[in-house]
Amino acid sequence: MISSSNVLITVTYQAVKAQLSLDLVIKSRELEKDELRPLYMDFQATTPMDPRVLDAMLPYQVNYYGNPHSRTHAYGWESESAMEKARKQIAALIGADPREIVFTSGATESNNMSIKGVARFYKAKKKHIITTQTEHKCVLDSCRVLEAEGFDVTYLPVKHNGLIDLQQLEEMIRPDTSLVSVMTINNEIGIKQPIKDIGHLCRSKNVFFHTDAAQAVGKIPINVSDWKVDLMSISGHKIYGPKGVGALYVRRRPRVRIEPLQNGGGQERGLRSGTVPTPLAVGLGAACEIAQQEMAYDHKHVTMLAKRFVEKIMSEIADVVMNGDPDQRYPGCINLSFAYVEGESLLMALKDVALSSGSACTSASLEPSYVLRAIGTDEDLAHSSIRFGIGRFTTEEEVDYTADKCIQQVKWLREMSPLWEMVQEGIDLKSIKWTQH
Amino acid sequence: MAASAAVRASVTFTQRLVRVSPDCSICPLHRLNLCTGSAGASVSAPSVSASGDCQKEETQEQVVHVVFVDRSGRRSPVKAKVGDNALYLAHKHGIDLEGACEASLACSTCHVYVKSEFCAKLPAPEEREDDMLDMAPMLQENSRLGCQIILTPELDGIELTLPRVTRNFYVDGHVPKPH
Repeated sequence: MISSSNVLITVTYQAVKAQLSLDLVIKSRELEKDELRPLYMDFQATTPMDPRVLDAMLPYQVNYYGNPHSRTHAYGWESESAMEKARKQIAALIGADPREIVFTSGATESNNMSIKGVARFYKAKKKHIITTQTEHKCVLDSCRVLEAEGFDVTYLPVKHNGLIDLQQLEEMIRPDTSLVSVMTINNEIGIKQPIKDIGHLCRSKNVFFHTDAAQAVGKIPINVSDWKVDLMSISGHKIYGPKGVGALYVRRRPRVRIEPLQNGGGQERGLRSGTVPTPLAVGLGAACEIAQQEMAYDHKHVTMLAKRFVEKIMSEIADVVMNGDPDQRYPGCINLSFAYVEGESLLMALKDVALSSGSACTSASLEPSYVLRAIGTDEDLAHSSIRFGIGRFTTEEEVDYTADKCIQQVKWLREMSPLWEMVQEGIDLKSIKWTQH
Repeated sequence: MAASAAVRASVTFTQRLVRVSPDCSICPLHRLNLCTGSAGASVSAPSVSASGDCQKEETQEQVVHVVFVDRSGRRSPVKAKVGDNALYLAHKHGIDLEGACEASLACSTCHVYVKSEFCAKLPAPEEREDDMLDMAPMLQENSRLGCQIILTPELDGIELTLPRVTRNFYVDGHVPKPH
């Protein structure tokens, strides 16, 4: 029995561990017969392709299948024309010139190209790069590789709300800084960095500014000239487009030079050689055009659903923390930490809703997300966090069902939790001395 | 009549030829000692005859010293005039600088690296030159197109290094002859 007084209590760690099922791993399995597919609430991981995008792509798979770089026949010319049309559609969405768009295999490649490319091109005189601690793994890993090559990298910390401190950024910029890379909207907690201010700061200091806008393009209005962005990464499968394609915006005035990662026949201004996959490029272009048309409505829809979801959850259960700034955010990415509930158990309890704790890249590892750690989340709370993603095709019913199920399961899991019991009795969990066997 | 017409024709032809590959010894004007140097023959062209009739008297200020460093590292110092085009200067002295589009800003084969001190002394590249430079392999911060470098007195002593490769994939090192 647990005493109710504020006395140091030793509880066997193993018993609690068993209760909280910390050893369980979510195994993959086939759907049973007649079992319905889970609701999809993981729109930051990927998005379903909009049927209109599929319509645009199909003719280029089976009929207009020419190589867009073939200059001598109609197959090439028609593919090239489709590719250029797509380029224009992408440029229009971000306020760029079509000549500034380079097709890549995705935002990961675009990020690699920008960071390594700029760093290596200007390495004769500039050896310093600045990024943040909450960037996507491909940005951080590219920076780590550059560190091994002899560059200096500063990983800016973020405030408790996830935003960077502009003053701190300004202090960190050195005369030999070649690049600053800050993502527009974070994929794990949904917060929106002050990109316009960062862009103006970097331009005034003559430093190139790259932003990973994979989660932002098509969701919020973007203008690369207003924001003074020099490089921007775009991902196809985050905006209801095809997987396997993305783009990189590379400013022409003032010109940004990149050392190419992929060499070959000089396609895409020599920056990214290789045949441009016409169907995928067409799909990306169509997705961008649709996103531009639907942006206002989508934003309204997602905001309404997000508000509905969060209000419902917060009103029914206590001790829920929303990670990241409540205002400077994209509403469709909600990261909630449910105290005294283990995240994996909650995911398993919500098995008919497709969710993730943290990002898809980190969902395989057992460590809590580095993004949550960077915003100062307690390790216990970090283990208890779930990311809910809402998108264009999410319905009210799905949101209501998820919220209700979530409330029900959190209450149930907390009933089982000795930690919750202790908290109810007024014990400060931090004062507990855990013993090991 | 016909003979003089023939001479005129051959002289005009030769004048045009001389502009591209000015070897004064083949020119009838030179042979007849009638050369006025109007074809732009440089003071330092090695084939100029010792009589100097082909040479214009150059004042010291008009001479610009240029050093071409080819891909094997061999240095070729040449003397040029103010207003000379670096690409044609290279051709005149047998430097292996390709100029596929003949200075019409449609290729990147005359890509050279300019010695860093002289980068700022060149006028900023126009957008079309930047576009072509984008396509040049092994681009560096001090890259320029040779056909757009017009020599001025401030560029005295400039060093132009040829990159190891151009857009043409002759990996055996073959360089197309200027045409």
